[in-house]
Amino acid sequence: MRYAFAISSLFLLVVISDSKCSKQKQTEYDIPDHVTPENRALFIERAEKGKILYKLYCADCHGIFARGKDSIPNFTKTQIDNYHATALIGLDPKNHAVAQKMSSEQIDYVVTFLRLRKVKK
Amino acid sequence: MKIFSVISAILITAFFFSFSLHHKKEYNRLYESSVNDLDKQLSRLLEVIKNNDVSVQTGREHIRRQIKTCRLSLKGLDFWFRYFEPVAYRKINGPLPVEWENEVFEKFEPPYRREGAGLTLAEQYLDEETVSGDSLSGLITSSVNALATFRADSITQNLDSHHHFFLANRLYLLNLAALYTTGFECPDTSSVIHELRSMLKKVKEIYSTFDETFPSISLSKEYLSLYDKAIVFVTGQPSQFSLFDHYTFIKDYVNPLFSMNQQFITRHSVVTKNYNDYSLNNNCSSIFDKSLYAPQNTKGIFSLVEDEALLKEIKQTGKLLFYDPLLSANNLRSCASCHKPTEYFTDTTQTTSLQFDRKQRLERNTPTLINVIYNHLIMLDGKHISLQDQAKDVMHNEQEMNNDQDELLKKILSCKEYKVAFKKFLKYTPEEKEVTLSHIVSAITYYYADFSHYAAPFDNAMNNRQTISADVQKGFNLFMSKAQCATCHFVPMFNGVKPPYIGSEFEVIGVPEDTGYHKLSPDKGRYKVNPAHETMNAFRTGTIRNTAFTKPYMHNGILQTLEQVIDLYDAGGGAGKKLAVINQTLSSDSLRLSDPEKKELIAFIHSLNENIIFEAPPSVLPRSANKELNNRKTGGEY
Repeated sequence: MRYAFAISSLFLLVVISDSKCSKQKQTEYDIPDHVTPENRALFIERAEKGKILYKLYCADCHGIFARGKDSIPNFTKTQIDNYHATALIGLDPKNHAVAQKMSSEQIDYVVTFLRLRKVKK
Repeated sequence: MKIFSVISAILITAFFFSFSLHHKKEYNRLYESSVNDLDKQLSRLLEVIKNNDVSVQTGREHIRRQIKTCRLSLKGLDFWFRYFEPVAYRKINGPLPVEWENEVFEKFEPPYRREGAGLTLAEQYLDEETVSGDSLSGLITSSVNALATFRADSITQNLDSHHHFFLANRLYLLNLAALYTTGFECPDTSSVIHELRSMLKKVKEIYSTFDETFPSISLSKEYLSLYDKAIVFVTGQPSQFSLFDHYTFIKDYVNPLFSMNQQFITRHSVVTKNYNDYSLNNNCSSIFDKSLYAPQNTKGIFSLVEDEALLKEIKQTGKLLFYDPLLSANNLRSCASCHKPTEYFTDTTQTTSLQFDRKQRLERNTPTLINVIYNHLIMLDGKHISLQDQAKDVMHNEQEMNNDQDELLKKILSCKEYKVAFKKFLKYTPEEKEVTLSHIVSAITYYYADFSHYAAPFDNAMNNRQTISADVQKGFNLFMSKAQCATCHFVPMFNGVKPPYIGSEFEVIGVPEDTGYHKLSPDKGRYKVNPAHETMNAFRTGTIRNTAFTKPYMHNGILQTLEQVIDLYDAGGGAGKKLAVINQTLSSDSLRLSDPEKKELIAFIHSLNENIIFEAPPSVLPRSANKELNNRKTGGEY
């Protein structure tokens, strides 16, 4: 009986999380026209990696994905640039303990994601 | 009654406020008056240059004397200037006319060209035949212009709080250990100790004024008393920097002061807004502790993994890969073929290793991997900015492992043990959908980096954990002075990374192609990465640590013994050996080292042999599904 309960609740959880995923919109990216198709694909691949990292490590403080909508705050270009620069130098460890540990590639993915993400006006 | 108490409260507050304002002005005033003094002395120098003929000896002497006055004035500001704006500082006292730089946070951009100017260069030009009044004036005018930077609000507002003070003091103490006593930017080496004495006293004045202005966060009595003892010690030392006891100065004074200052940084919750601090570790309590500055990222793609047990597994897998010849296209060569893990991760038997074709030789000697993590740029030409990029390059390089990325991954994952391990590790890198070459190289770099954390007897002696022979101490004192080693191999890693430990330096020393010094080595070095006049034949400065075990020496492995290396430097590099080296960064004058002095230098070099615990190779390598691959030899072969 206990097993049945566990299994059914697990099943329910899967269904719920599944429906949650399907509700989540795919991110659209704004890539300049002059970018070649191969590079476009590369940009999107990197941005998608950044999106995963962002959701896991940044979204708790900077916007919340969990409600099924894209509520990432709209960082300005200057804010993103500043983040990129300070991330390379060393972010404030009190507020950015995880970001501080990221490799430069991982920081790059997150920044690429934030830069290319299409911002709804 | 109520009104009375309110009024008295206001009065008391106002009194204390004016009091603190008054004293804040004191600290600011010291800064301001020191800047004004330097400004005055520089203007006077311009006049002296204008009114004197540089082509006659007496004219040059007048100028030289005023340069010295300016230098002493600058010593009262060095404490602040170097910390606040090192780029502008180079216009006042730059060591080189042109420096190409890649600091840590600039690594992702092309190298920057930074032109030096000011007192050190002016003093050097004064002795050259081509010297002209105009060129000297030009150098000093640049300094006067740069001085304006240090009057800007953005700089002076730092003086209003205590935060900058302990950080500037840390840099000052690091410079005391690594630069100020070596003649790094003091071409007249007879003035080094004289200038040091003057500087120590001027900084004492800065300390006193700071303590008056910020009484609640002042320096401790213990610190000030040790600092006073340092002044007494230096005053009692000989004025010749080659007779100065660098060893005792650093061990008994500078390093303990550094340790106390680190405590102040934590105790007073010091916050930095400066781009000079980020590589330094606030929790490190000794200059001779390897945690002093942040090394290269050794974890790569596994940067966010914290689980100790998993990290241990990654390291073990990295070790297997390091010894696995599957990494090369012909399944014969592993990392360990050239970087022998039981021999300080180098190959002492080969001048330069064989290429992939097993016929021709590679261009450069195999470097040891121990302590490479403390370089900010990787490879002798600084081609790579990360350890992982370097490892990938070797695997793809046609002359080395000659691999195709997909083929390599297929081979590795054909081994069940690797496949299971990497499938597990993959879960910890959520941004990646499948196992990539980055997973492979990150495991490898994480493995070999582990051998870089050991201390040498010299470190232990500096940290008062063991005693060291008089010869070693003499050797270190020579290293820091007469032998001019420490102007490129900086304390404490003795590599090309100087305080505040954010960039790697390159030098041109004129390494020959043959031991008969018939021809300069044709290797262009850094020029291949950044073509410029200054970078031709330049190589990244390597560490002196463990060199007793990492022969042969120089980029092309042309020298077999430490004695030969010291002879090259003693002769004034390639130029001193009459080779045509147009841009040598080393003086072509002989160092005039005696035989006993050379022996002492070598004794010191031996004291930098780290007490490394090496590991035995893995007994077996993972078995592949492809049976042909299972004949491969652990560690590979040539």
